[in-house]
Amino acid sequence: MVDLLPQWLQDFLGQDVLFWLGYFTNGKHLSWYASVQYTLAAGVLGAVVALALGTLAAAGRNSRFSPARLVGGIYTTVLPGIPDVLFFLFFPLAFEQGMEWLRAQAVCSPIELASGQWPPCTAANLLLGTSEYLILAGVSLGIVYGAFAGNVISGAMNAVPRGQLEAARAFGLSPWQVMTRIHIRQMWVYALPGLSNVWMLLFKSTSLLSLLQISDMVLWADRLGAPNFTRSAGLVHPDWRWGYYLVLLVFYILITFISEKVFAALTRWAGRGMATAGAV
Amino acid sequence: MTMLDAIATDLVLLAKPALFNIYFAIASIPVGFVFAIFMALGKGSSNPLISRLCRGYIYAFRGSPFFIQLFMFYSLALAFNLSVWKPLGIDWIVLNPLILGPAVLALNTTAYTANILHGALMTVPRGEVEAARAFGMSRAQQFRAVIWPNVIRIAWPAYTNEVVFMFHATALVYLTLPVINDQKDLMNKAGELFERDFNAFLHYPVAALYFLAISATIFFVFGRVYRHLMRHLPKPPAMRFSPRWMR
Repeated sequence: MVDLLPQWLQDFLGQDVLFWLGYFTNGKHLSWYASVQYTLAAGVLGAVVALALGTLAAAGRNSRFSPARLVGGIYTTVLPGIPDVLFFLFFPLAFEQGMEWLRAQAVCSPIELASGQWPPCTAANLLLGTSEYLILAGVSLGIVYGAFAGNVISGAMNAVPRGQLEAARAFGLSPWQVMTRIHIRQMWVYALPGLSNVWMLLFKSTSLLSLLQISDMVLWADRLGAPNFTRSAGLVHPDWRWGYYLVLLVFYILITFISEKVFAALTRWAGRGMATAGAV
Repeated sequence: MTMLDAIATDLVLLAKPALFNIYFAIASIPVGFVFAIFMALGKGSSNPLISRLCRGYIYAFRGSPFFIQLFMFYSLALAFNLSVWKPLGIDWIVLNPLILGPAVLALNTTAYTANILHGALMTVPRGEVEAARAFGMSRAQQFRAVIWPNVIRIAWPAYTNEVVFMFHATALVYLTLPVINDQKDLMNKAGELFERDFNAFLHYPVAALYFLAISATIFFVFGRVYRHLMRHLPKPPAMRFSPRWMR
């Protein structure tokens, strides 16, 4: 990578800077920078799933149909009671085993199925790759934080002033129009601060990806920083892991900072034309 | 009955590991609470240097994942082992997961709790503080008699949530730090049991049951404390059980 720089720039930077530039752009470091994509992908997928499930859960909790209320209520009260990391480890395993069980019913012989071994036969084994695990990780984050989002959204739906909805109905708007143009339109102002919190929690949980054997930033930081000893060169560098983790901390703090700014802008946008205390 | 038996066996096997999670929580949360009071006062301080430092601390710890904070402090402890901790003779303290774990948890909960307390500090009714000053109370008296009772009542519901989250965060400690001998916590033990018979549907939900039960206990106890704190106010109407299956 360093060779690509023009000669005059190389002369200007000097040997020391060039050495470190070369070191921080070697193959392993480039893989580290590239692994940011897994973190971002899991975060975005998790957010989409969480928003969808949160909306469903909020609709269920406010539904007129008691089983839907029950399911929505259990989902939004039980899941926040268990650690995200537990569900994050459990869901991909459970999903994989469920799929393997289904496959085993089709491909294994009855004798093998009755043996009580797991898996019943080798043909039923599923070998999941990074992308499948990434999707499972994103979905399980989405399920966990969907419960939080459900609480936020159902609270926000109830926070919209009744008078607004009554006025809309009095104007002759259909129930669908009342819901989309008045209820959901105003709900965002009350939901966005809470959703911002949920997003921050969700994104911080993407640091767990390495637990599912995805070579994300955390795993690469561990590999790059570990004391590096080669027979020909001796000790290349001592334990530098804390420096690499410090970089990760700064990365997450930066994402938090950017998210705060984006959510502030979103809140301003969602509240346009509404007479709230925060309005400019 | 075999399934109930299996669940009962797991409940027994996971009882001792649950104690490690409870230990981590109990060893870190009170320490973090005391630090947080000073950190919250520091954030609200009129001295710009103290205020900036406390703000920075709170922002850094709230803005980054606890998992990576644990990794970083553990690798710091490892990296300076030979050069600093060993010569000082404190390596067995610094590298002991039963001390390092609660220490990092305490640093983390300090930041979150300080933010909650600072938010409460900002909403203490100004008139009450002015009345206290008019009575000629000293700063310490104002804090003890007027500001603190207000702060703790405003902050308590949010602090309850923070304590439950902190308890959940203890699940991460032994995913990072080394496990010494049989000192496994709930996550380790559930993982070990899973590797024995690959029954994910049994071991993880039972571990989750422990977390749920302890979280519910925390909510119950803190709810009782909140009722005690609010005993001077008229009681809210008691809940009535009147199911309506179709509204």
